[in-house]
Amino acid sequence: MMRSAGNRRLARCSAAIAALLALGPMTGASGPLGSPAVGEATDRTLPRPPANGEMGFVVSSLAQTVVPGLDACPNGTVPRLRDAWLETLPPEEHARLKLKENIQEFERGWQSYAFGANGTNICSQPDIFDHPLIRTVQSPYAFGLNLDEDAAPNSTCTHENFSSPTGEKGIDNQVYRAMGCTLEWRGVDGSGGDITRGSKQFHSSGEWTQVLLLRGVDSLQNDNDVEVVYANTSDRPNVDTNGNFLSGVSFTINNTAPRYRNVLRGRIVNGVLTTRPQDIVLTETWGQGGARDIRGARSKWEMRQGRLQLAFQPDGTLRGLVGGYRPIFDVYQAMALGGAGTALVAGIDCAAYHATLKKLADGIRDPKTGQCSGVSSAEQMSAVPAFVNDVPTGQRTAAR
Amino acid sequence: MKRVKLLKLATLGFAAASALAAGVGAVDTPPSIASPAPSAQAALAPQFQIVAMRRITEAQYRNTIADIFGPDVRVAGRFEPVVRPAHELIASGAREASISPAGLEQFDAMARGVAAQVFDESRRSQFAECQPADATKADADCAGKVLAPLGRLLFRRPLSAGERDFYVKLAGDSAGQTGSFYKGLELSLSAMLDSPNFLYVVETAEPDPANPGALRLDNYTRATRLGFMLWNSTPNEALLQAAQQGKLTDDAALAVIAGRMVNSPRFEQGLRAFFSDMLLFEKFDELAKDPVIYPYFNQDVAKALPEQTLRTITAHLLGKGGDYRALFTTPNTFMTRSLGPLYQVPVHKSAGWEPYQFAAGDDRAGLLGQAGFLSIYSHSGRSSPTLRGRAIRELLMCQPVPNPPGNVNFTAVQDVHNKATPTARSRLTAHSTDEVCAGCHKITDPVGLSLERFDGIGAFRAAENDTPIDSSGILDGMHFEGADGLGKTLASSPDTTQCVSSRALQYATGLGSEDVSPWVEALDKQFAASGYGIRALFLKVATMPATWQVKAAPLDQGATKISYAGQRR
Repeated sequence: MMRSAGNRRLARCSAAIAALLALGPMTGASGPLGSPAVGEATDRTLPRPPANGEMGFVVSSLAQTVVPGLDACPNGTVPRLRDAWLETLPPEEHARLKLKENIQEFERGWQSYAFGANGTNICSQPDIFDHPLIRTVQSPYAFGLNLDEDAAPNSTCTHENFSSPTGEKGIDNQVYRAMGCTLEWRGVDGSGGDITRGSKQFHSSGEWTQVLLLRGVDSLQNDNDVEVVYANTSDRPNVDTNGNFLSGVSFTINNTAPRYRNVLRGRIVNGVLTTRPQDIVLTETWGQGGARDIRGARSKWEMRQGRLQLAFQPDGTLRGLVGGYRPIFDVYQAMALGGAGTALVAGIDCAAYHATLKKLADGIRDPKTGQCSGVSSAEQMSAVPAFVNDVPTGQRTAAR
Repeated sequence: MKRVKLLKLATLGFAAASALAAGVGAVDTPPSIASPAPSAQAALAPQFQIVAMRRITEAQYRNTIADIFGPDVRVAGRFEPVVRPAHELIASGAREASISPAGLEQFDAMARGVAAQVFDESRRSQFAECQPADATKADADCAGKVLAPLGRLLFRRPLSAGERDFYVKLAGDSAGQTGSFYKGLELSLSAMLDSPNFLYVVETAEPDPANPGALRLDNYTRATRLGFMLWNSTPNEALLQAAQQGKLTDDAALAVIAGRMVNSPRFEQGLRAFFSDMLLFEKFDELAKDPVIYPYFNQDVAKALPEQTLRTITAHLLGKGGDYRALFTTPNTFMTRSLGPLYQVPVHKSAGWEPYQFAAGDDRAGLLGQAGFLSIYSHSGRSSPTLRGRAIRELLMCQPVPNPPGNVNFTAVQDVHNKATPTARSRLTAHSTDEVCAGCHKITDPVGLSLERFDGIGAFRAAENDTPIDSSGILDGMHFEGADGLGKTLASSPDTTQCVSSRALQYATGLGSEDVSPWVEALDKQFAASGYGIRALFLKVATMPATWQVKAAPLDQGATKISYAGQRR
């Protein structure tokens, strides 16, 4: 029997997920699940879905995908702001400024690199500075999804594709290309940086907690039509002493405006759930403070034309990817929220990050100007079974 | 300057209270730096005699303060616990409870705190109906009008003239030195709250006209017993009035009043206190589990567990008027968000409790399938069929099990990762080969092993160390399977209903199980006749003559003395 184009794509996606899982924990993907890497999805023994076809999950990990190692960044990771400033100077200046007697000049110099006229700084207003681009990923391999395979003509901008580590072509992940050599993404030893650890913390603390509610699931192996509610909850997850999410916890989808609740549709093929492209908007709270405080700042987490690709695991969990196009600012908004402190304390050159992302933007194309303001992205997702209440007062909507 | 004076006066008041404490029931007159306070005996007519003293519990103290002064008056402090006698109720231990010097300090601190709140500017008008002529000076007339009604509520009987004069004088002396009428009232009230007439239920008896030469509890003692037994709080105005009118020694009137009390919503508070005592809920205060072994256990869970059990009990016995025996089989309970993960069930409400019904055939049915019982009768890192079996025998069937000898070798049962003994059943079998241990384990383990499909926090498990768990059990020759089977077996056992009947009578009287045993069988029959309804049981207890009979000799006719401040007087 001939397979349709859609089925072929799904089969490739399944293979990609399987490959991704087979590689074991990606950077940031070493979730709490501890489930063994799996091979072909069709070989796995999956549990039967509940009789009512509803299954709830809480997202236990959502982290940037990084192919581990240092090979992707042959020139090293992106320098800190102080060194980035030095690189803008003639080589003979480097030695002079590093002399002890010139230390104050050196400090003043690189710190002034973070500021502009009228109190502006490179993290609060990165788009008004003209800093050189940062080092980008040189490897042809990345985790991710083929986002533009079915894209409408002229809806994306020119870009290079990656291949997955197992050889699948057409992987779109310009966020990884742009940011994959920063210390925040890759870490000192290539095993992952603060961005992944921070993400895990934000999810487990309840600041970003996301839930999935699957409806109409007849089989975890193959099902042509599944509804997926992907939403935020203000309920905190329960975690063990290692920060791993516990299963069987009840959550209620936020019911206060603005309500971040995305209803997606998808299907299950060979144990892999894939949703159709659709804009996904969720919220993130940065810190536990009030909304007017940076420690309680609310922001959006957007995935334009986003899609989920999640494999059901024998232990009842989900593992896979969420991909889509992210507005450029969203990628570095955590750094922007820190303002000048991000530049001076963490040494991050937000202006350079911004410029690099802008150059590599491949999605959210303005039909009038032809400019793209979004970057393709893929994040690793893990989710554990939970009871998800879609309507707070409902009696029949909790599902695990 | 005034603060110093107040402190001195406070000491004076405390000493006065101490003198009063020593005076109650004691023959000796204690030395005191202040004028000796009149004793309770002085309030009694010659024919009345003190026959027992029972210390009020923390819950009774708090409920009393809330009932008299309002729930917004905070009681801040640590209560010295009443020690539970082996295999008995705390209510029985209260008859023996003394107060240590440190404990009295705590009571004094709480008393001052309560008194300060009662007479602060925002509340004093609720309790002081009169106004002093000059708020900076003593006013004996007004002080008497304020303190006498409060003393009646706190001592659960009218103050004697001597007592009234004493507390008025104390308030006056204090007002004189502090320059504040209300500070005087405050100090006098705190002295009342320190008094043994408040901290203890002083039970008094009078000659029984129906039994010449015998004694019966008098009206005010009956009012107090009814209040604490059925509502776990001090007698309210209606009860005190009934006592004043002598209605509580009239059987017909007593039945009407007790009937009204067991049908009141406040009976739930009393029933909660009874079952908390019967099921040893003080164990929840020290409940601790290893968070590495049991990640689903946390402080929110620990706090919710006793409440879940109490809600189950009261909803079944009071809300539905259910059969006591069905407590061991009911599928109905309540859940919170914190408990949901432990039970692996959905909870819809983000905050608070909601009803939950386990599916038919679920092993969770009944109190014994609840995590509260299962977790307190487990160790911090493992379950314990022995503790569970013992608790079922002792608490629910009133069958005391001897303590293990001091030299027991627990190695076999503690070795939970030994592949040769992967389950508790196999470990206990190895342990019980010791003849010294086998005797008691035969009583407890066949019962407790049926609950092994619940781990040390009461979470479900099908296997231990990858070995399927055998949850078969035996109780008094009856074979059954799992918690569900155990519940059904207990529900059909006459020992469970006799046990709760005995406990109810002990709870009401403060007597031990041996003391009440002559009446238990008859009481259980009447319990059965009512369909094992808990209201009927407590109504019967409240109206049966045995509850009001006096068995013990009056305290002041023998060698019994009141232990106070660590000294035997």
